[in-house]
Amino acid sequence: MSYQFKWSVLWSGQSGYWLLQGLITTLELSALAWLLAVALGILSGALRTVPFRPLRAAATFYVEFFRNVPLLVWMFFWYFGVPPLLPRGVQDWLFDHGAEFWAGMFALGVYHGARMSEVIRSGIQSIPRTQFEASVAMGLSVWQAYRLVILPIALRLIVPPITNESLNLLKNSSVALTISVAELTFQTRQIETYTARAIEALTAGTLIYLVLCVSIAWVMSSLERRYAIPGLIARVGGAG
Amino acid sequence: MKRGFVVLQVLALLLSPLGPVFAQSQTLDKIKESGVLTIGTRTGSPPFAYINKNNEWVGFSIDLVELLVIPSISKEVGKPIKLTKKESTPPTRIPLLNSNSVDLIAGTMTDTPERRQSVDFSLTFFLTGAQFLVKKGSPIHGINDIAGKRIATQQGSTNAKIIREKVPNAQLREFPDQPAAFQALLQGQVDAYTNDGIQLYGLKAKAPNPTDWEVVGDFFSEEPYGMAMRKGDAKFKQTVDAGLKQGFESGKYFEIYDKWFGPKGELPYPMSPQVKAYLLKQIGK
Repeated sequence: MSYQFKWSVLWSGQSGYWLLQGLITTLELSALAWLLAVALGILSGALRTVPFRPLRAAATFYVEFFRNVPLLVWMFFWYFGVPPLLPRGVQDWLFDHGAEFWAGMFALGVYHGARMSEVIRSGIQSIPRTQFEASVAMGLSVWQAYRLVILPIALRLIVPPITNESLNLLKNSSVALTISVAELTFQTRQIETYTARAIEALTAGTLIYLVLCVSIAWVMSSLERRYAIPGLIARVGGAG
Repeated sequence: MKRGFVVLQVLALLLSPLGPVFAQSQTLDKIKESGVLTIGTRTGSPPFAYINKNNEWVGFSIDLVELLVIPSISKEVGKPIKLTKKESTPPTRIPLLNSNSVDLIAGTMTDTPERRQSVDFSLTFFLTGAQFLVKKGSPIHGINDIAGKRIATQQGSTNAKIIREKVPNAQLREFPDQPAAFQALLQGQVDAYTNDGIQLYGLKAKAPNPTDWEVVGDFFSEEPYGMAMRKGDAKFKQTVDAGLKQGFESGKYFEIYDKWFGPKGELPYPMSPQVKAYLLKQIGK
């Protein structure tokens, strides 16, 4: 009764095309969500450290609210909760033009933005206070100090945890299948529907995720080495 | 002496592909040992298998197992058997079977030639076909009206596949479970939801305002429901089929049908003569 593998299902019929479609959707979804997450993360991560209480409170609220609710709930929120707030005509237009994809993108981006925010905050806070004081003493405004001194250093320090978070984001994009976004995991299930070959389809999906993640990790570690500030960190990690 | 032993070993090796034919059923052995039959079934597919208002996990498919299949298995293994239920969904049910997590899928699974390559099916215990659930007054009356429309389907179901083949320009939205697909219909994310007619009647009955919705269209597919089990366990399949056959012959099956689909049942759905003939034909009547 042992399982008989039949790998040919992966390249016969439409399977290959579906996997490719799924891969493209996963990449589009993740890339857009990543840009949103990084923008929100840098903004709120920086705001959480500024010397002005209302801004800190707003950023803290964003982080705690969005990271402490499961991603699945956010998917449903953006897909089922937000559209009814819009006029009927706009809703119909959205539903005809890939509302699932955009709902999934916002869910993923806003959720991971809250998590990235914490990474960025820890990067900023690891910079000695004296460095900020020194920048201000040189005549920079708070905004200039952040833009020219604090953030450029912090962003370099946090490359490893941001890589971690980015890989999580990529893998979490599979949750979007719950709101019918036809991404990679969705397509592996599609193959299963047509061929009743679940293990082969899942294996193909797993390998694609693995290759994607390893490539991203590799790119990030090259970035880390390329942009390292000589002398800033005692030992540049031997990654890659 | 030693040579004789080797010969025996070689013989055993040669015969081993035939092993399963002679051997006892692995599934029945497992059930006999544990005293438990584990089935994979649905939680949100009334009236086949669902959690009811009293928080009980019940349904037509579950009753068939409890009242027809279990007695047959008990008789076969010679001791009383208890029933354990686990949740299964279209994408998980075949893997659950193959990993031995469950012994039988009894929910709303359609018997198809593709699936028969991976699992064995019991006799058909219900026959339905795909239709559409739409808001009353919708321009959709059947599969010929769905070009360009947004149609929700359940992922992993046979209906999505047929629509993709027959109406490639319909905008399919595939949801992993029925509640999400129905929610999308309620809110207007989609224009229609397609699934097996009987399930649509079930959803309509549970909707906040059942009269706002209607089930439309001729069956655009034939969906015979069967219970699925691991491939190649002929003895177990015989035992399951014997239970169902006994039910058809004694009329017990029709009593159970009446309990769920009769006029006072959970979901009135009289059995058409064609369906009845189809079911009885399986046992040579």
